[in-house]
This record gives sequence, C-alpha cells and structure tokens, in this order.
Amino acid sequence: MHKPISRPVARVDAREKTGGTARYLDDLRFEGMLHAGTLRSDRPHARIKNIRVPDLPEGYHIIDARDVPGMNRVKILVDDQPFFAEHEVRYVGEPILLLAGEDRGAVFDLLSGVKGEYEDLEPVFFEGKGEGLDNFAEYVIKKGNPEQAFREAADIFEGTWETGLQEQAYMEPQGVIGVCDRDRVTVYGSMQCPYYIHKALVQGFGWEEGRVRVVQTVTGGAFGGKEEYPSLIAGHAAFAAFKTGRPVKIVFDRHEDMVCTTKRHSAIIRIKSAMNRDRVTGMEIDITLDGGAYAGLSSVVLQRAMFASTGVYRVDNVLVRGRAVRTNTVPAGAFRGFGGPQAIFAVEMHMHSLAERAGVSPLNFKKRHVLGTGDKTVTGGSAHEELRLGEMADLVASMSGYKEKLKRFEKKRNGNGGKRGIGLSLFMHGCAFTGSGERDIIKAEVRLAKRSDGSVEILVSSVEMGQGAFTALKKIVAETLEIPLDRVVYVNPDTDRVPDSGPTVASRTVMIVGRLLMRAAEEMKKRTDAGPFEIVRTYEQPPAIRWDQDTFKGDAYPVYSWGANVVEVEVDPVTYEIAVRGCWGVYDVGTPIDERILKGQIDGGVAQGLGYATVENMRIEAGRLLQSNMTDYVIPTSLEYPPVESVLMDTEYEYGPFGAKCAGELPIVGAPPALGAAVQNALGVRVTKLPVTPEYLLEAAGNED
Amino acid sequence: MRIEFVLNGKEVGVDTDPAKRLLDVLRNDFGCTGVKEGCGEGECGACAVLVEGRLVNSCILPVIAARGLEVITIEGFRETERYRVIEEAFDEAGAVQCGFCTPGFVLAAEALLRRNPVPDEEQVREGLSGNLCRCTGYGALVRGVLDAADRGRGLW
Amino acid sequence: MVETFCPENLGEALSLLRSAGGLALAGGTDLMVRYRGPGTPAFERNVLYIGRLPELRYVREEGGATHVGACTTYAELLASDIPPVLREAVGLIGSPAIRNAGTMGGNICNASPAGDSIPPLIALGASVRLVSLDKSRTLPLSDFITGPGKTVLRPDELLAGISFERGDFDVVFYKKVGTRAANALSKLSFTGLACTAGGILNKIRICFGGVAPVVVRSEELEKGLLGMDADTLEEAADEVGRGYEKLIEPIDDQRSTKRYRREVSLRILDYFIQNVVVPGLKTKETSGR
Repeated sequence: MHKPISRPVARVDAREKTGGTARYLDDLRFEGMLHAGTLRSDRPHARIKNIRVPDLPEGYHIIDARDVPGMNRVKILVDDQPFFAEHEVRYVGEPILLLAGEDRGAVFDLLSGVKGEYEDLEPVFFEGKGEGLDNFAEYVIKKGNPEQAFREAADIFEGTWETGLQEQAYMEPQGVIGVCDRDRVTVYGSMQCPYYIHKALVQGFGWEEGRVRVVQTVTGGAFGGKEEYPSLIAGHAAFAAFKTGRPVKIVFDRHEDMVCTTKRHSAIIRIKSAMNRDRVTGMEIDITLDGGAYAGLSSVVLQRAMFASTGVYRVDNVLVRGRAVRTNTVPAGAFRGFGGPQAIFAVEMHMHSLAERAGVSPLNFKKRHVLGTGDKTVTGGSAHEELRLGEMADLVASMSGYKEKLKRFEKKRNGNGGKRGIGLSLFMHGCAFTGSGERDIIKAEVRLAKRSDGSVEILVSSVEMGQGAFTALKKIVAETLEIPLDRVVYVNPDTDRVPDSGPTVASRTVMIVGRLLMRAAEEMKKRTDAGPFEIVRTYEQPPAIRWDQDTFKGDAYPVYSWGANVVEVEVDPVTYEIAVRGCWGVYDVGTPIDERILKGQIDGGVAQGLGYATVENMRIEAGRLLQSNMTDYVIPTSLEYPPVESVLMDTEYEYGPFGAKCAGELPIVGAPPALGAAVQNALGVRVTKLPVTPEYLLEAAGNED
Repeated sequence: MRIEFVLNGKEVGVDTDPAKRLLDVLRNDFGCTGVKEGCGEGECGACAVLVEGRLVNSCILPVIAARGLEVITIEGFRETERYRVIEEAFDEAGAVQCGFCTPGFVLAAEALLRRNPVPDEEQVREGLSGNLCRCTGYGALVRGVLDAADRGRGLW
Repeated sequence: MVETFCPENLGEALSLLRSAGGLALAGGTDLMVRYRGPGTPAFERNVLYIGRLPELRYVREEGGATHVGACTTYAELLASDIPPVLREAVGLIGSPAIRNAGTMGGNICNASPAGDSIPPLIALGASVRLVSLDKSRTLPLSDFITGPGKTVLRPDELLAGISFERGDFDVVFYKKVGTRAANALSKLSFTGLACTAGGILNKIRICFGGVAPVVVRSEELEKGLLGMDADTLEEAADEVGRGYEKLIEPIDDQRSTKRYRREVSLRILDYFIQNVVVPGLKTKETSGR
C-alpha cells in the first residue's frame, strides 16, 4: 500500500474552520434581510379548515401555498410532498406557512398567534407491525429456486429484527437564505446536492433553469440529512424572497430541526433460512421500512436494503420481499448507509443465530458462507473485484483476540461481576448509485478549468460537508497533473459556475466524480497550450456492468467496499448499561486518497454506528417524537467509546481514481451488528432490536429467566 | 441596561436586556460568528467561550453574568501562541472535519490545559465531555489535545 | 412587560423580590433552557439575577457542618472540601462548562425528580436556609421539596444556603444511571452511606432519586437496620428491598421506563447491601475495630 497519494496532507479547509472564520449559513447577513419562521402542523393527520392569522404589522408577511408560482410539490422522486400543506396535514411538523419579518423575535412572537383550525383524521402508524399499510414502493427479488431449497431443507430457522429511528444530528442545524434579484432567485444553504435544489426550485417556480441559482455554504455536517430535505426549505426561502422582494433567512433551532427533518427509516426485517448440512441453502427475507408521510427517497432506500439483505454471503436461492410504507410521521430519508445498516444488522444477527444452531463458531460459520471472487450476489450479479472476506475476518479476529475472548466470556457469563462480550460482523456497502443510475439518471459532468495564471479550478457540484471532498478531489487533480496542491482551486459549488456532477451522496464523490476529474486532469496534462481552457468529462460506465432496473437483475453496484468489525463490551450486571471496551475494524475501500481523512471517516462512522446501536433512542408516540432535542436524543460523547483500531486492506479498483472505491458510509454499517453480537455473547440473550438499551436488556434477560 | 465587559482583551459595552444570551450578544452585537449555536440547550458546546478562563456555554449564559468579566472567544484566542499549537496538533491528528464544533473544542482544550497542562487520555476525554462532535468519533480530537499538550510544553 | 433585575447585593435582591416579585436566576443552566425563545429567553415573569451576589457564594465549615451558598457553582464546590458522596454526585452533573455555571441552589429550587445533587444532600441530612426581607427560616431539604418542580419557597423568599453534616461514613456508595456515559440526564440514582465501626451498622442512609415525585428516603427503614451485623443484614436484604419497593413510584418517560427504574433501583439497593455494606461489616468484625 502506501501509494504516494494516500499520504496525508494538511486538510485544505482546516484553518478557517479551526479559527472560526469559516462562514456557515447563519453567519451570513444580507442587507434588508428578513427572518422567517414556519407554522407547522401539530397533529399527525388532519384536514386544514382554516388558518387564522392576526393582523400583521408593516413589514411582516405570510407566505403560503398561494405564493408558490409553479408547482406546489417538492421535486424528489414522486411529486407528492407539497412545499406548503394546503388542505391536509400528514405529519406533526409539516410546514403550512411562513411568517417573515425583520425582527426574528417578533416573527416568532407573531407566529405563536397564528392559529390553525383542523378536523382530525384517522392517523396511521407503524407500531412495530408495519402490516396493512399503504406503501410507496414494493419490490420482489428472486434468485435461484428458494421454494425447492426450503422443501429440501434439513432445518429451517426464522427470526425477526427491528431497528429504530436515527437522527443525523449534524452539529450545524439546517439553514437557507433566499435572495430574489429582478427575475432571478438565488438560494444559499447548508446542503449536499445543489442541483437537487435547483431542480426543485425550477419546478416550484415554473421558471426556466437560468433564472435559478443555488450556492452551497460551508456545511457543518450532513450524513444524508441534507440530501433531499433542503429542497423543501430552499423553496420556502425562495418563495418568500420572491414575494417580499427581500432576502429571507430560515435557520432551524435544534428542536425544530429534530422534529421536522428526515430520519433514518425504522425497519422490521424477517429472515428465514433453509439449512442443509450446516450450510444455508436458501433464504426468504421480508423487509418493511417506515417511510413516514411522503415518498421522498424511500423507494431507493428500500432497494438498497434489499440489495444488502443477504449481506456478504453467497446464498444461491433467495426470495426478498420489501415494502416502504406510508405512515403519518415525519418523512424518513437519507442517512449514511441508506438502508444498508438495517439490512446488514438483521442478516448478521441472523447468521449468529444460525451459527449457534449449527454448533459452529460465528467466525467459522460466516467464513463458510462469504462471497468469493466471481460468486453471484442476491441480484445475480458478480462481485467483479477480488474478494478477501475470509482473510479480513481472520485479521480482525486476530487483532482483537476474538476467538479466545469469545470462549472465555461465554464461560464467565454466569459468574459475578461485569459481563464481558465480544462480537464480530462482516459487511459491505455498494459503491455509488445502483446499477445504471450513474449512466442513466445522474450522467455526471465535471469540468476542469486551466486559468491564465496557471492555476487549475475544479468545477463540480460535489460539496465539502466534513468528509474531506475538498482535500481529496484536489489531491486527485494535483497528483495527476503533478502540480502543488495549492495550485488547485475548489470552492463551494455555485450552480451558475459548475456543471451537475451529481449529488454528494452514496459514497460516490471520490470514486465517480474523483475519477472523472482524474480523467479530465489526464486530458489537461496532454494539452500543451497555456490556457485558459476547460476540459469537460462526462460519466462513462465501466464496461462489465450489466443491470436491469425493472427486474433488479445483474450488478446492483459497479463495485463494493467491504469490512469486518469486532466490538467488545462490558455489560453492568445490575443496571444493564453497556460499556464499549474495544473496537477493531478491517476495511477494503481500495486505495485511500488520504489515509488521515479516511481514518476520520472510519472513527466517525463507527461512533455513529455504535450510537445507533446503543444510546440513540428516538421513539414516536401518536405521531409525536418523544425525543426532539439534544438533551433527550442522546448521541455519544468523548467518554463513550475507546479508540477504533483499524487496518486497511491493500486492494485497488480498476475504475476508481488511483484505485479508490467508496468509503464514506461503509464504517457505520458494521458497528451495530458487532455490538449486538457482543451483547449476546455477554448475556446469553438474543438481541433482536436496535437500539440495545438497558431497558430492553432488562426485559430480554427477564424474559429468558 | 448597559452591560460592559472585556471581550478578547478589549473593553466593550452593549445596551441590552440583561437576560439576553451571551451567545446572541457575541454573534450579533460583536460579530463573533465563530461562536456557534448547535443546540441552544447547553448540550453541544459549539457555543463555548471562556469567562474568566472558565469554559461556559454561551447559549445558556445571560449576558449579565459576564458583566465586568473577561470573555474570550475563538476570535481572540486564535491570536495566541497556544492556539497555534492546538491548531497544528488538531490538523496533524485529523481532528477537523465539518468544523462546526471545532472552535468550541479548541476552547475546551485551552480550558483543560490551563488547569492540567499534562493530562492523560482519560482526563482529556473528561475535559472534552461537554463538547459534541458528530463527525470524528472523538478519536482524532483526543489525540490532538494530547499532542498539543506535548508540543506546547511550557506554554500552559 | 417582564423585566430583568440585577441587584448588587442580597438586601437589594430581597427588596426587589418583595416589591416586584420575580424568578431567581443563578447559573441559568435550567432556566435559560426552560424558557428559551428564539434568541432571548421568553420569561413569563420578572427575573431576578442573583448569580453573582457575593453573599450567596461561599463554602464554609462551621459547627461540624458544611455551609454552602446557594449560588456557589458546582465547579467551586468541587474545588472545596466537600463530603465524598457529594463530590461524586456533583462531578457527574452535566459537563465541565455546565459545572462552571450551574449551582446547587438552582438544582434544589428546580426540584426535578432527576436533580442530581438532591439525593446525596438528603442522605447527608441537609437543611436549607430561606431568607426574605425581614425573616429567615431553616428547614430540612426533604421538607423543602414537595413534588416535581414544587418547593415551599414563598414568592418573597430566596434560597440562601444549604447546610449538611460532614458525615463520617466509612461506606460511601453512589450510582447514577444516566442516558449515556457523560453529560447525561439521570434516569435514576442511588445514594448509600453507612458506618460499620465494630462490625455493627451504627449509621445508614439510603436515598433513591428519579423513582418517585421526590427523593425516596425512609428514616423508619433505616432505623430498622441499625445494630445489625453482617449476617443479620444479609438475611434482612430481601425484606429491606420489599420495604423500599412500596415507597418507589417510577414513571415511563422519554428517557426510561417504569419497569427499568423500579427493578434497577432495587437491584442497586440489593447490590449495595450485599456487595458493599455486608462485606464492610464483615471486615470490621474480623479486625475487631
């Protein structure tokens, strides 16, 4: 390993962030700017009879559905979600109108005087069953002959796993500023996808594209929470700016952010396996995701969950059924892993149960089933790259002392003192958009501009949101052109200046956009003229990928990144509190573009995964979030987890820049099942849901007495 | 009410409601936008400043509580030698990702090292326990503070 | 129109309280959150800022007891000589920044069932001194707090100070079950103090926090344990548990469940008796001290 490019460099955006000079959305001020607050539904399902607005002083305005010049629908995948609810509200927190004015305090005072009159309608909730509900999407994947496998099975085992909500809890709350200038509108904001917002505004205004401009501001974390959500509030700010003729700023406080923005889909996953001679010969998997009130991205999250449903294992006969249901709760959306964490948790815990039944150690049982190079995935595609899962499993086991500890902890389980446990997980993440998404939907375009002073500017719509895109993409260009890093320019994307290279999601930025930039740089290098000039590159799909989006057959992803985790816990025998005592990870992400940045993604992803698995408890009761501030929604602190010991596999992906694959989401996927398995080892109880709270363990241990 | 205090070494005053959050006074009246609002409840530490050298969450401190006292924000602290050591150590460790929490962590590190110039890992974690970071998982931040203590021997 | 008053001394504060009334604001770590608006908090009545009043910030030893001014911050407390159980509990409140502002007086007047300083203080037999313009009165802390968020503080009174015994307990046990490892709200807490000299239980204090509208302490049950030796106490453990079970009334909320609070608080009690006090008594027996 240790390609020159992997060597860490000083992160290009560190200085202004550490010194507090970086300007996030709320730090921006425009002359004549108004502040806007939002009236939101306080009930899960109701018909709006009337909204009574008190007399407003001069300079204070209401903006609602009537002020949407174009289509009152937020463009995501399906046009079902209004910018402003008109006749019906479908979740607590749904926006109904804005109140804008010069003094922020006065805006919220006046807003509290706005009264909605509603006729309550019957709400629909998930409530741990997920049955009989309307759905946004429903799919079936079939591989081989599962019916036969079950007929011929020597043993059949079935289990159900539930995963809960998770809030992204980026440290910078959402915010946008809309500015209207004669016949153009510009929205500044904390975002992942400038062009998603651009398209949504074009549809909301019904204007031609040139009249809309979107500019990303320094983004303080996102994790998927600023993927599709900002399109909604960008519309709000833009319509308000258009109506009032003044710039309008919307910034959420933490409570509002938690109540009304998208969350990770909660899930119920049932897996039934047919076993013959201690091998899994068939699987039947049923996935239900709670999509919340509107379609959003649920269909795609569901697809990814289904494509991940058999984990890293080769199962020849599979039937996967999945659905994303509609409930009267806040719409679920993108969050690091995007359906993968839910599915991998279930299949990993299921494999643990199977291993137990077979009387085989989890490590050996899993190794027996892992995909090898050339094996077919659940969609009948091939993992084209070299697969080294067995090796990775062995490596993480030896790093952590897994084998010896597993036995020792099991023996000591009924003794006194803290219960120690250790668990191992194997996992993967499909890189970039599904199948032919890059080729057929995104069609990424990048530009690389050579300036007359010799500097080179990267023109892409990818954003820096903390994950290191600025540094990584600059490195790729600088390394290819063999010029110093500081000769490469890359600023926050502005749709007036950059082409649509696709959204900053799906761990695609380095692998797809980075590669396009590398190709552009290669082309630029060949040019002998001094400039200025621009190189344009558009996406070319690697030749071997075959995918049918209608039947879900073929290569669901161009390539996968793989991982192996071990987590060691100690469970307090009196209180069932879980302390994490060790985390180890082995990751195959191809060539790291910067080892230090990658380490940051690993450390952060593992912490987020462990949080998801333990303390991040978010529940809905009668459509209302019980935890909606940082006091009650608990994310990990510096005292929670020990350092992650991680190792990278030395692999290279032919179609990634310098051999890089995807890395941003992978680390969150493996931690929850490793933790779940560790708790099982410690207590001898089955862990069937996330988060694993002390309250849950008390019940589980009590029920098994 | 006129409330005067010393901000980043300079005597300042503001006519305001004594119960106004110090955070808002710093950001809106004095342009200290490096002090951030992450939660408004004193949970995340993105708003942390030093008052008389002690770390406090400015989002839950009424400005009257700072009257006549010395307040230091990242805007002031970044001019010091100690800051440069912390900045370098943070960069080497990979402690900066989205950056929103970073100024708060810098001041938390300063507050810790003032009291304990040679902390061990547990003490560093304890000292940072009131600052939330969602990006780094804390590993790099802890390493950064330990490294700063090392590099800055004699400064604290 | 609500006003915020900033008296320069205690006399002025009490005078304002008598004439204009107001909500006493010290560290702000509870009230600035409870009344938060967008920007300046939306207090519902006048506010009296007392956080910097010098008369209310002190830690003194006098007459075998410790006296703490109500507006002494947790950090100032931790820098003083306070009983080990209080040190442990206060050290787990909030975070370093919270402890630099928050006060025990505020914790007590907020009277949350999850207030962390209260159970150890009650275990130490704490009393509170309430002052108004022309009067002052002292009462046990356990009489001061009457329910969640409810105290007997009169509108013209301020909590001025808290006093508690030094406590020569050789067994000091405190357990806070929080929502996470640090900077956590309490789901429940347990405070156990005992004196095991000579192998006999000659003093015992048991307090539960977060499992009832107010702190649970039973002087009656405690008395019943006095004089026991290791074996007797071991045998009595189950009965003691049943006794406390009748006194606790936990609830479900966004942080935890009724069942968890009930079962875990009693498990901690049992642990305290069997694994802390009983062995402590046994050692004292054998060494004959």
